[in-house]
Amino acid sequence: MERTDFLGEPVKHVRIPSKLSVDELIQQFKNSSSFGAGRLSTACDIYERMVRDEDCTIFLALAGAVVPAGMRSLIADMIRERLIDVVVSTGANMVHDAIEALGGHHYKGHWLVDDYTLYKYHIYRIYDVFVPEEDFVKLDYKLASIFDEIAAENNGKSLASNDFSRELGKRLHDQDSILRAAYEAQVPLFLPAVRDSEFGFAHWLHASRKNVGQVLALDAFKDVPEIVGLCRRSARNGMMVIGGGVPRNTVQSAALASKKGMDYAVIITMDRPEPGGLSGSTLEETVSWGKVKSQADKVMLIADATIVFPMIAASVIERLTGGFKRVTNGERRKLAVEEPE
Amino acid sequence: MKKSTVERKYCGNCGNHNAYNYPNQVFCGKRFSDDKNPIVDTLWCCEDWNPSSQECYCVREATKKQG
Repeated sequence: MERTDFLGEPVKHVRIPSKLSVDELIQQFKNSSSFGAGRLSTACDIYERMVRDEDCTIFLALAGAVVPAGMRSLIADMIRERLIDVVVSTGANMVHDAIEALGGHHYKGHWLVDDYTLYKYHIYRIYDVFVPEEDFVKLDYKLASIFDEIAAENNGKSLASNDFSRELGKRLHDQDSILRAAYEAQVPLFLPAVRDSEFGFAHWLHASRKNVGQVLALDAFKDVPEIVGLCRRSARNGMMVIGGGVPRNTVQSAALASKKGMDYAVIITMDRPEPGGLSGSTLEETVSWGKVKSQADKVMLIADATIVFPMIAASVIERLTGGFKRVTNGERRKLAVEEPE
Repeated sequence: MKKSTVERKYCGNCGNHNAYNYPNQVFCGKRFSDDKNPIVDTLWCCEDWNPSSQECYCVREATKKQG
C-alpha cells in the first residue's frame, strides 16, 4: 500500500436542503461515509443488492421487542412484497403480533415509572412500552382452543415450528399481522425457541385441563432439515439480522450446516463482542465458522434497530421504483403445502 | 419485609387470578384447569381461594367501580 492509497476519497459533508427523502438522506450519509452513518448507507446498499439478486434467499432474523416497538406492519408489508423470503423469530415477537391480531394493544409508556404500581395494576413494561396483562391472558385463552384445534387436526403428529406458525397465521385474520402475512405469502416463519415465550405458557394452559383431548406437539429438531434445505437449495443466501440470540444463530447455523455460508449479511445490534456472546459477535468472527463467506457483502451496524431498520427499508423501497417486482425464490415456493384460505 | 394482609377473600385477591376485563372480571387458572368457566367476577370467591404472593389493585378498583 502506498500513502496515497489511504487518502483516496475525501469526506463530503452532509447537506440538508429544505426537503429530503429518506433515501436522499442515506445518499448524504454515503457521501460522508463516516461512522454509523456510513455503515447505515452500506447496509442499505447491501440490502438493495440482496433484493435485486433473483437467486438469493433473504432470511430475516428477529430478536428483541421489535413488535412492541411498532415494527409489525412494516415487517408484514415487507413479507407481502417478497422483500423477505424466510423469517426466523423469537416466540415473543410472534406472541406480541398475535396479541394485536386479537385486538390487544401496546401502549406508549415511560421508562421512569413505579414498576410496583404497574404490577398492582396488572400492566407489564417493555422499557417505555406498556402492555396490559389481560391482553396476554386473552391470547392464552384463545390459543388454548386454537392449540386444541391444531392438535386434533394433526392427530397427535408433532409439528416443526414453521408448521406451527403457519397454523397460527391461518387462524388470524388481521392483515397487519406478521403471522398472517407469512401464511398468505407462503413465507416460512421459524420459531426455534417457541417454548421460551407466552406460547409456552399457553401450551401449558392447553395441556393442563382435566379433559384435554389431543395435546399439541412441537418438535424443534424438525426445523433443522427444513431451514438447512432452504439454504442448500438457494444459489445465494442473505441475512438481515435484528438483534441476535437464537434467531441469528439459527440462520447462521443453517448457512454453516448447508456448507453455503451467507453471501450477504446485515446485522443490527447494540451488543458488544468482548463478552463472547453470539449477539455481539463480529461478522469477521462469523467468517471463521463458515457461516458467512469471507468475500460476502456484509456490514454490522451498532445501532438501535427501531431507528435504522425502518430507514433501511424506506431507503431501499424508494430505490425499487419503475414497477420493480421481486422474483421470488422458486425453492421457497416448493415448501408451501397449502393455499391460503 | 411487609407481609400482605387480606381483610376479605375475593377472586381479585386470590393467587389463581389474572386480569381479564379489568377491574370487573378476572381469569382463574384453577377453574380453567378444572374445565369450568375461568372468567369470574373480581368480587366473587370460591372454596379454592389461596393467598396471592403480592398485592394488586383489582379488589380496590372493582369495589370503587361497583360504587
